[in-house]
Parts: sequence; structure tokens; C-alpha cells
Amino acid sequence: MLIKKIQKINVYAMTWRLPIIVWQLLFFVGPVIFMIAMSFFLVKNYRMTEAFEFVNWSKMFSKNYFWDSYLHTVTIASVSTVFAMIIAFPASFALAFKASEKLRRWAIFLLIIPFFTSYLVRTFSWFVILSENGVVNALLGYIGFGPYTMLNTNFGTLVGYMTLTLPLVVILQTITMASIDRTLIEAARNLGCKPLATIWRVIIPLSKAGLIVAAIFCFILSFGDFVAPFYLGGSQEPTLPILILDTTKSGQQWPRAAVVAIVMMITLFSVAFIGIALAYRKKAKK
Amino acid sequence: MTKPLVILEKVQKHFGDFIAVKEINLEINEGEFLAIMGPSGCGKTTTLRMLSGLEEPTIGEVRMNGQVMNKVKPHERDTPLVWQSLALFPFLSVIENVEFGLKMRGIDKLERKKRALEWLEKLDILEFSERDISTLSGGQKQRVALARSLVLEPKILLLDEPLSALDAHLVIRMQAVLVQLQRELGITFVYVTHSQSEAFAMADRVVIMGNGEIAQVGTPKDIYRSPQNKFVAEFVGRNNILTGIVSDVKKTKAMIETGSGVFSVILENNSLKKGEQASFVISADLVHLSTSEPKTDNTVYCKLISEEFVGSMVTLFLEDQNNHEFKVQMQERELSKFELKPGSKIWLSWSLKSTHLLEVN
Repeated sequence: MLIKKIQKINVYAMTWRLPIIVWQLLFFVGPVIFMIAMSFFLVKNYRMTEAFEFVNWSKMFSKNYFWDSYLHTVTIASVSTVFAMIIAFPASFALAFKASEKLRRWAIFLLIIPFFTSYLVRTFSWFVILSENGVVNALLGYIGFGPYTMLNTNFGTLVGYMTLTLPLVVILQTITMASIDRTLIEAARNLGCKPLATIWRVIIPLSKAGLIVAAIFCFILSFGDFVAPFYLGGSQEPTLPILILDTTKSGQQWPRAAVVAIVMMITLFSVAFIGIALAYRKKAKK
Repeated sequence: MTKPLVILEKVQKHFGDFIAVKEINLEINEGEFLAIMGPSGCGKTTTLRMLSGLEEPTIGEVRMNGQVMNKVKPHERDTPLVWQSLALFPFLSVIENVEFGLKMRGIDKLERKKRALEWLEKLDILEFSERDISTLSGGQKQRVALARSLVLEPKILLLDEPLSALDAHLVIRMQAVLVQLQRELGITFVYVTHSQSEAFAMADRVVIMGNGEIAQVGTPKDIYRSPQNKFVAEFVGRNNILTGIVSDVKKTKAMIETGSGVFSVILENNSLKKGEQASFVISADLVHLSTSEPKTDNTVYCKLISEEFVGSMVTLFLEDQNNHEFKVQMQERELSKFELKPGSKIWLSWSLKSTHLLEVN
């Protein structure tokens, strides 16, 4: 009787789990396995042939441009993350602590709206603002500065990254900080903590997990983004996504592109893993 | 002992249109254990928050040691609060929690640690000093919260229903700890609670609040035996409240005609006129039962409705022929003599000196 019951429950649970398992196998595990296999294939006469050779790995790893690009991508994605976290913080802080519940809900709704429009369109709209005869330079011209080159620079790439990540970072930071127990902030004040000092004495420690998750998202999105460095950064110094594009275009080198993609995935997994471990780290004291 | 440490003068607190505290005049003496008690929403917590500076009075003045405190920010005051939720910092260890206030006051590391350890020892939680807050039991957390506030050696400690989350047996233990601490340290405790047993067991004086106003201030005995008005009499419970018309006034007593009969009520400093409406109370524990009609004043013939046992004490709920409820409280072993069942009829009586006239309000 009992065994029958357990089996029944398991079948029921499995039925519900099945779609997600199938989805993951079809669209994540499968392609990843194929990509790993592909990184060992060879390209002969512009045609990919099945093989098991390490030549793609050794070729890519011995190229300086690969490592330069890797370092550049990690750096610029990190800088973007730091900037996004800092720029978002005052806004999130105000929404979490100064705004009414109603205003906060509206703000979060409005912050979701950018995701309705194409990221590409939003990126192109920066041309109007940042180009040599764009809005910013026109305004600076009035007070006797510029014109400055902002497109096709790392600055352009950063602006592009943040177009993608800033709304999300604000949403995540706001939700995290809004859910803090206000009593703890009052308790700190009651014990002699100055109003501003509560930010790093209480608010940041309490929202650590959420803030780290926001930073991870920001890094992952920036690191893997192709649009911003391509259109706004001018791809002079190629980031890894642009390197993948170039590699596939020049001589159908899909296997080498796969090597780059795998390195990117390993990097992102490591960042996410370390980040989550930091976010939920407990003191080992007993 | 009787020097006022804190004076609240005509203090009001409004939140938009809502008036949380209507007008409060209160003196809190140095070294006393004062309980502020009332139903939820009566303004007791708001009053406490005004003492800590977390709320600023809309009208009126809060003075401490003669200094007006209205504009003094919470972090500039020495008025630590023990919170209902305890509000311990989950990201800090036990000792770091206790050190927090000292750190904010710029006291150096060694001194901080020394003082924190002293208090952990005093409160019997020294062995947990390096532990995570989440690994502690409710009672232990309670002690950490107390240590965190007391380590600052304040003149006044504010407590906002600190025991409400504890198990009943722990509440009794912590009450003893609190009273002993207060006596030892000689500092003022202002203790907000909705629990009568807590307030009456610990406090030197009790403030009863209702609807943003003070209904009565007095010793627990005053409140219990001589409630000033209907609100206090009802809030304290276990009181039989009767309302009627004064039919005769003599030197020391008045006759009041109620729906349940004519009763004599003792006159203390009250002046009553014939024909006025008046209310009086008789504590449930001062009502006697008898199977035959007593040959005295102040008797009612009632039907037993239900009984409620708390330990060895029983509260009987009875009704007279007009369905007016009476409460009688007595020891269970006394009650067993009467062999009562729901529906049984019995005589209630009380002596003249057990009556207490309420102020008209």
C-alpha cells in the first residue's frame, strides 16, 4: 500500500518536472555538449569535419590576441559592473527607503519597460546622443567644450552595457533593500549610529546577498554582450563575443569560436559560483 | 527616588489625520520601573518611540534631566530600546552585537570587548559570545538584546513588549531577571506591554493608556483595586461593573439602583447627588457565594453560565435574571464545596467596603 502510494507521488512529481528537464536537455545540455565536441573538430577547405584534435585549443591559447581580448572583456565587464552598482545605488536607496510603496511599484514597473523595446534600438538611439554632432557635444559646445569622441570608444561600450544592465540592477537593489527589516535600521540609530553610517553598518550587510546577485547579473550580461562593444565600442579592441563573430567569419573557424565560447562559459560559471558562495557565506563560528 | 528624570508635557503625536497620542502629561521618576499598558493601538508604543527620539512629538515637550529633547536625534540620545522583535543584527556575532553601541560611541577595541564580556557574563550568556545570532534560543536572544542596551550604561532603558515572543515559562524567568537587574542597577525602566500579568508583576507604577490618552496612573494595587474609570475597570478585567441611578446619599455610602437591584456603595472622596447616574465596580475575587439568601445588603441571585480554570484559580461567569454578567474568582478547592454545574442557581454577595465608585466619564 505504502510503496504504491510513494510511486504514485513520484510519477506525479516527475510529470511536472519533465518539461523543464526536456527543455534543459534540448536547449542547454545538448548544445553545450555539441559545442564541446565541436571544439575538437577540424576545418578543411572551409568545411568542418568531425575529428578529435586539440589543435583548436592550442592555437587559441597560444595567440596573444585571445588573451588580450579575454583580459579586456573581463576588465570592461568588471568596470561596467562597478559603475552600474554605484550609479544604481542612490536611486535604489531612495526607492527602497524614501519612496512610498505605491511610488516604488510604479518605479519598478517603469524600470521593466526598457525590456519591452529592442536592446538594439536602444543602443542605436545612443548615436543621436553621443556622436560628434550629437546632443551631448552640442550642449558642451555652448559652454565652450568639446567636441569629444564618445562613440567607438570604451566609454561607448560602457554606456551600452549599462543601457542593458542598469534597469535590472536598480530593480534588484531596490527589491533587496526594500525587504530589509526597518526595525534593524532603527535599532542601529537607537544605539548611536549616525543616519548615513547606517548604510554600511546595517543596510549593506543586510542586503549583501541581493547586491551580489545584482552584480553577478550585471557582469554576466556585460561579459556576454555583443551589441554594445560592436556598435558603440567600435570593436577596435575586440571583446570575446566579437572575437567569436570574427573567428566564425574568417575561414569558417567554428571550432575555434567554440573554444572561445567554452572559455567564456567557464568564466561565467566561476564568477556566478564564487559570487553565490560569497553572498550566502555564513560565519563558520559555532 | 522621586526626582523626575523624564517629563512629558502636553505631548501629542499626529500621523497625518490620525492622532496616535492625544495629550499626555507624565513624569517618569529616576530609578523607577514604570509600565505603560493598554490595548493595541492605544499609543503606548508611539509614546515609547517619542522617548527614544524615533518619533518627534507633534505638539508638546519631552524633557530629560530638564533638557528639552524634541529635536535631539535618536543617535544623540542615551535611550536604548529593547525591541519586541529584539532587532539583533543577524550579520554580527553575539559579542559584536553587544559591542555595536560602544563602537558607535568611538570606544576603543579593547575597552569595548572588556565591557561587552562583562555584560555577557552578568546576563549568563558568556559561553555564546562568538556564536551566530541564529543559533541562539529565544531566551538567549532576549539576554543578548538586554546586554546590547545595558552595556551603554544608560540612565533609562526602554522596553517594547520584549517578552511577548517567549514561551510562558520563560516569561516568568525573564521577569525575575528584569526586576533584579532594575533593582541592582537602579536605572529607570519604561516597559510597554499589553500584558497585565507582566505589568503588575514587575512595575512600581503602571500607566494605563486608551485611545491615545492616559486613563490612570498608579501602583498596580491602585489600578487593580481602585480603577478610576470604566475604561480601566474593563481593561483590568475580572471586575464586575454596575451602572445605575443614585437613589439615596448618606454620609459614607450611597444607594444606587441598577437593573440588577439596589446596591450600597462606599463613598470615599466622591460627591454624588440623588438622581445622578453612577457606575461602580466590585473585584471578582471579593464576591462571595452562598446557597441560601444572605441576610445582608448587596446580594444577587444568579445562574452559572461557565467556568474558566487557570491553575488553581477559577473564574465563574454568571448571569442574573436580567442577563447581566457577573464574574466571581475563587480558589478551586473553595468552589468544590458548592458542587455547581452550568445552570445551577446561587446567591452572590459582597461587603460594602468591596465596592468602588468610578468617576463619571
